[in-house]
Amino acid sequence: MTLAVLRGGLSLDSQRRARMEVLKEKVEEEEEAEREEAAERGKKMMRPVEMRREEPPMTQEMLRDLEKKLSEIEIVIPEQPSIITKDTIDISKLPLSYQSNTLKEEHLLEVADNFARQYSHLCPDRVPLFLHPLNECGVPKFVSTTIRPTLMPYPELYNWDSCAQFVSDFLSMVPLPDPLQPPSHLYSSTTVLKHQKGNCFDFSTLLCSMLIGAGYDAYCVNGYGSQDLCHMDLTRDVCPLTMKRKEVVQEEEKVPPKKYTIKPPRDLNSRFEQEQEMKKQEELQGEEERRRKEEEQRLLEVEKAKTDPLHGLRVHSWVLVLSGKREVPESFYIDPFTARSYSTQDDHFLGIESLWNHKNYWVNMQDCWNGCKDLVFDLGDPVRWEYLLLGTDKAPLSVAEEEDDAMNDDDNDDVENLGKEDEDKSFDMPSSWVEQIEISPEAFETRCPNGKKVIQYKRAKLEKWAPYLNSNGLVCRLTTYEDLECTMTLEIKEWFQNREDTLQLRHINKSTGLNIDYFKPGHPQALRVHAYKSMQPEMDRVMEFYETARVDGLIKREETPKTMTEYYRGRSDFLSYRHVDFGDRVKKLALNSAESNPRPMVKITERFSRNPEKPADEDVAERVFLIPEERTQLRYHCRDDHITASRREFLRRTEVDSKGNKIIMTPDMCINFEVEPVEHTKKLLYQYEAMMKLKNEEKLSRHQAWESELEVLEILKLREEEEGAHTLTISIYDTKRNEKSKEYREAMEHVMHEEHLRQVEAQLDYLAPFLAPFPPGEKLTHWQAVQVRDECLSDFKQRLIDKANLIQARFEKETQELQKQQQWYQENQVTLTAEDKAWYLSYYSQAVFRMRILEQRLNRHRELAPLKYLALEEKLHKDPRLVEFLEVFV
Amino acid sequence: MHRLYNSVEPRVMDEDMLKLAVGEQGPKEEAGQLARQEGILFKDVLSLRLDFQNILRIDSLWQFENLRKLQLDNNIIEKIEGLEHLVHLVWLDLSFNNIEAIEGLDTLVNLEDLSLFNNRISKIDSLDALVKLQVLSLGNNQIGNMMNIIYLRRFKDLRTLSLSGNPIAELEDYKMFVCAHLPDLVYLDFHRIDDHMKELAESKHQYSMDELKHRENLIQAQLDDERAQQEELEKHKAAFVEHLNSPFLFDSMYAEDVEGNKLASLPGVSELLQAYKDKFVTICLNIFEYGLKQQEKWKLELDTFNECVQEAIQENQEQGKRRIAKFEEKHLLSLNAIRDESDLINIEVKILEYSEDITELFNVLMTLEMQLVEQLEETINMFERNIIDLVALFIENVQSLMAQCRDLENHHHEKLLEISINTLEKILKGELDEDLPDDLRALFVDKDTIVNAVGASHDIHLLKIDNREDELVTKTNSWCAHLVDTIHKNEMMRNRGRVKEISQYIDHMQNELDSLECSDVID
Repeated sequence: MTLAVLRGGLSLDSQRRARMEVLKEKVEEEEEAEREEAAERGKKMMRPVEMRREEPPMTQEMLRDLEKKLSEIEIVIPEQPSIITKDTIDISKLPLSYQSNTLKEEHLLEVADNFARQYSHLCPDRVPLFLHPLNECGVPKFVSTTIRPTLMPYPELYNWDSCAQFVSDFLSMVPLPDPLQPPSHLYSSTTVLKHQKGNCFDFSTLLCSMLIGAGYDAYCVNGYGSQDLCHMDLTRDVCPLTMKRKEVVQEEEKVPPKKYTIKPPRDLNSRFEQEQEMKKQEELQGEEERRRKEEEQRLLEVEKAKTDPLHGLRVHSWVLVLSGKREVPESFYIDPFTARSYSTQDDHFLGIESLWNHKNYWVNMQDCWNGCKDLVFDLGDPVRWEYLLLGTDKAPLSVAEEEDDAMNDDDNDDVENLGKEDEDKSFDMPSSWVEQIEISPEAFETRCPNGKKVIQYKRAKLEKWAPYLNSNGLVCRLTTYEDLECTMTLEIKEWFQNREDTLQLRHINKSTGLNIDYFKPGHPQALRVHAYKSMQPEMDRVMEFYETARVDGLIKREETPKTMTEYYRGRSDFLSYRHVDFGDRVKKLALNSAESNPRPMVKITERFSRNPEKPADEDVAERVFLIPEERTQLRYHCRDDHITASRREFLRRTEVDSKGNKIIMTPDMCINFEVEPVEHTKKLLYQYEAMMKLKNEEKLSRHQAWESELEVLEILKLREEEEGAHTLTISIYDTKRNEKSKEYREAMEHVMHEEHLRQVEAQLDYLAPFLAPFPPGEKLTHWQAVQVRDECLSDFKQRLIDKANLIQARFEKETQELQKQQQWYQENQVTLTAEDKAWYLSYYSQAVFRMRILEQRLNRHRELAPLKYLALEEKLHKDPRLVEFLEVFV
Repeated sequence: MHRLYNSVEPRVMDEDMLKLAVGEQGPKEEAGQLARQEGILFKDVLSLRLDFQNILRIDSLWQFENLRKLQLDNNIIEKIEGLEHLVHLVWLDLSFNNIEAIEGLDTLVNLEDLSLFNNRISKIDSLDALVKLQVLSLGNNQIGNMMNIIYLRRFKDLRTLSLSGNPIAELEDYKMFVCAHLPDLVYLDFHRIDDHMKELAESKHQYSMDELKHRENLIQAQLDDERAQQEELEKHKAAFVEHLNSPFLFDSMYAEDVEGNKLASLPGVSELLQAYKDKFVTICLNIFEYGLKQQEKWKLELDTFNECVQEAIQENQEQGKRRIAKFEEKHLLSLNAIRDESDLINIEVKILEYSEDITELFNVLMTLEMQLVEQLEETINMFERNIIDLVALFIENVQSLMAQCRDLENHHHEKLLEISINTLEKILKGELDEDLPDDLRALFVDKDTIVNAVGASHDIHLLKIDNREDELVTKTNSWCAHLVDTIHKNEMMRNRGRVKEISQYIDHMQNELDSLECSDVID
């Protein structure tokens, strides 16, 4: 029943080789038997994995149950055969190789049939092999020849992940017509690419072609997958974009204590108490942990899918990449629908029937009762993998190691050697019948069909668009939801491309209402990050800047309704921080309401980094202006070997002493604390000067804060405009989209064309008709030259006369016509309607105009003709071909 | 041009004159009012103008120690003097005086701008100290020799020079010569030197310039060499093994040894001497290398120690700073609270609380400091022990090496004595073939003489070796003692400084609180 029996019973390989010849004669007989067997098996519809699962108490009831379930499910599956039906494909346009088989292919098909017969004979329990489905023209083609290894001309498609991503984006998925059987048709990758849709076999064939082309050791797999896998259902998977990257915690290496490191002060705390405390903490933590685990467990159960009745029966095709080539350290699967890589132990993959690449076809002889977990991918092992063509490629692994170099060389040349015959091999795979796989740059850029794709993940939805498809430059949107049903939006992330305002990512948090915009370098205001809840000024907001692009070195500006904090770096005045507290807006008289009414500043705090040129005692570290109190506090930097810093506080008061004189400065207006008292700072004069300086600086700071406020307004205005306009930039290298350059290029082409025409004209030889009678290349005699000249001149004269006559004739005709009309008008003048009259008048004025023009032209012709004639004569005179003869005698 | 002596009365630079000048040139308006109230100290004055005062002699300026700019133009000064104390002077104007020689400027190392326009100077010199000189005005003087220009080459920052009105400026080649010899000059006689001019001058004076440069380079290289050697020697001296890498000690042994030199010409002695010298120098070299190695070791030890101590101090400071920052935060709040409080009882409570805070801060800071002192003391003691051990080991080893030297000397002495006695016997027997120099033959009179002579030589040698050893040991020991002493002293200074700082800070805080109390009481 199971494969284990089979494996124990015979070594298929050795027997087959011996029987190859014998069997050929028995073909007919066995075919019959085979068909019967197949029919039987079709009825049974049981596969190894399924059997295992259902085995233990197989009662009639259960069978009935199963049947019922199966029938139910059959209905659920959409009756949607391959969407690309015959009539959508124009077979006649396909190349010959699509429509017929070559001799070699015929031979291969025979071999495959033979193999299939033997296989079904030896393993009667297994489903028939997927060997030669029909292609779009209805011609049977062996699956290996459908793989067309191609290296794409796009550097982005050099690695497996980007390749897989491309395939999954580019094609839209069509489920298999029968989810329990491989399809009857397998189209070429070119057709699939053209229609941008396909089933899992189409996906994996295309991906495999690209991967082999890029140098990977890749195989198409025909096997069984989970429901999610087969239906491209990611709703139970966490979106890879939402996953947080693991933070790599680098443990700081402990520096070995140096010889003279001081000993720490003695610890006088009770160790027992500490231990007790620790124990208590641990208990609490344990409790917490348990609760969390329970919660998780509960969540998991909720999320767990209901079991699939067809589990293990669903046919799927994916790609296997074996280790060894392109520095792949470990074999892995790629699901071509989702472009995800899975380990070969993954639960989603339930069994493998067979696998193939462009060279050979292998049938799995290993037991799949445990999914794919125990499979060994040693394709050279004939016990595990039954190959179709003898010795084409894979040696057993043990041998492979020894002959590694030789093998590699062989492998590297795979793509080139495709068409070559190799004498050593009994029979090798014919080259692919599929045309070169081509993807146009437009299609490559557009990627998804119609440039749009939606993927549903667990608690997340991912939407993708091609660049330039959306007018606001949106290329990707990730919506995360709170619940599994995707009704409560948690947050939205939108990625943009090619925006003129360099916006690249917008993060909208629905629960907090916080929007965060991320910008690439190049925004006109050097904006880097803008976090806001509303676009109204004087609200909570954080703006970060590319400080190298700003003159003032601003890194970050945080705003709350009452404060504004700015962080700076790299300023020549060493300012690093400014914090402004605003007071309530004072009501203003309505006199000049148009003018802005800035909020009064209550307090300005500025911090400075250390200026190495100044001594610490004179280098201000923090400066606080308490504006309404007219108080200024200074804190200086701390000296290297001190723990206290000098401080100074100025209190500006304008008072009048007893005599009515203004007090300029009194000692109590300045409170000093100095680490190292110096004499000169005690002087009133010094303090007065310092205070005056501070007064100016306060004014300056206030002005700067005010300017910052203005700037915020300006940025907000700019942002609003940009959002409204959302213009996209077009690279100057993008020849298709860049209208301006296109126009320019077309203009240039036009100019070139005209230039070309002119050149052609210039090359026209006016003497050619007259020189024609004489043999070319020979020199003219004097007489001949004179003849040519005279002929040319007379011809030209004739033409001039003709032209004059023509003009004259037209003029006369016009005159006659006019006279006729005049006559008619005068005769019928009385009876004419207003309309006719108007018509006549217009005709008259036009005719007169025409006549005048003709007259002018005639006159001009008369004037110019002699000149032209003389000019030609002159030209002929100087013509290199005639000059030597004419010069002498004229 | 120059004013005559008898036409005006020369004035003396006295206190009054200076006060007047300072008052006139001091701050104006409100600040001036304040300044008058307080009076201006001379040492606070940065700039002083004393022109058209008919000053004959510069005097009484010693109080202006922070003066940056001094103008003494249009006087009748004859000699530059009395400026020695104005070391911060950047700008000095002595134009339109009667100065005949440049002098008395040797202390003004910060001077950048010097004007000696319209004087009677005939030679540029005595400016060596003015390394930062940028502007030099020497117009309308009596400089007649082109070689004065070459003197100016040493001022690397000199950009502006004026020499017009001097006899040399009349010379045909004057401009070219100056441009070629002072290539960094930008302005000459108030005109910008254009590139064309520079190129012309360069090509014209190329040969002489090349030669000059070559000579300067040679001198420079020699100076560098000497400095390098000096540094090397300093390094050796720091390891107390100077000159031990050469036969210096051996040579010095024979430098004062008359007899030894005489005896060296004895047959067979020269070979002996050579072998002796070789061995001796090898031992010296051993000492030398050992010394350098030990020096490295000490240095490493000292560096580690310093690093650790610095780290400890840094960390302690950080802790202190954190404490203070925390306190100050609270302090501002409580001060404001006290100010705003109207209820007297509450004020009392708050003030009490506040003063408790201050005391606590004081305690914490002091504890930190005491803790650090203890820790450092322990570390310093450990270092002291280690370094003394190291030094002792070094001395021991050196002494044993020196003993080897002495052994060699003894050995050599025996050999020499043997040869001498043999020679003496030969002479006495008349068997000696070779001719000996007369002064040497004079030694071979009898056995006593020759033994004495050889002995004297031996004594001198031993003395020299002993001296060298003593020197080394004393120096090393004193270095070690000094080092330990310095470390202790530094630590003590640091401790005192910190304690002073803390108490000062606490006092200030207390004072602030007190003044608040006072004002409250008054209110």
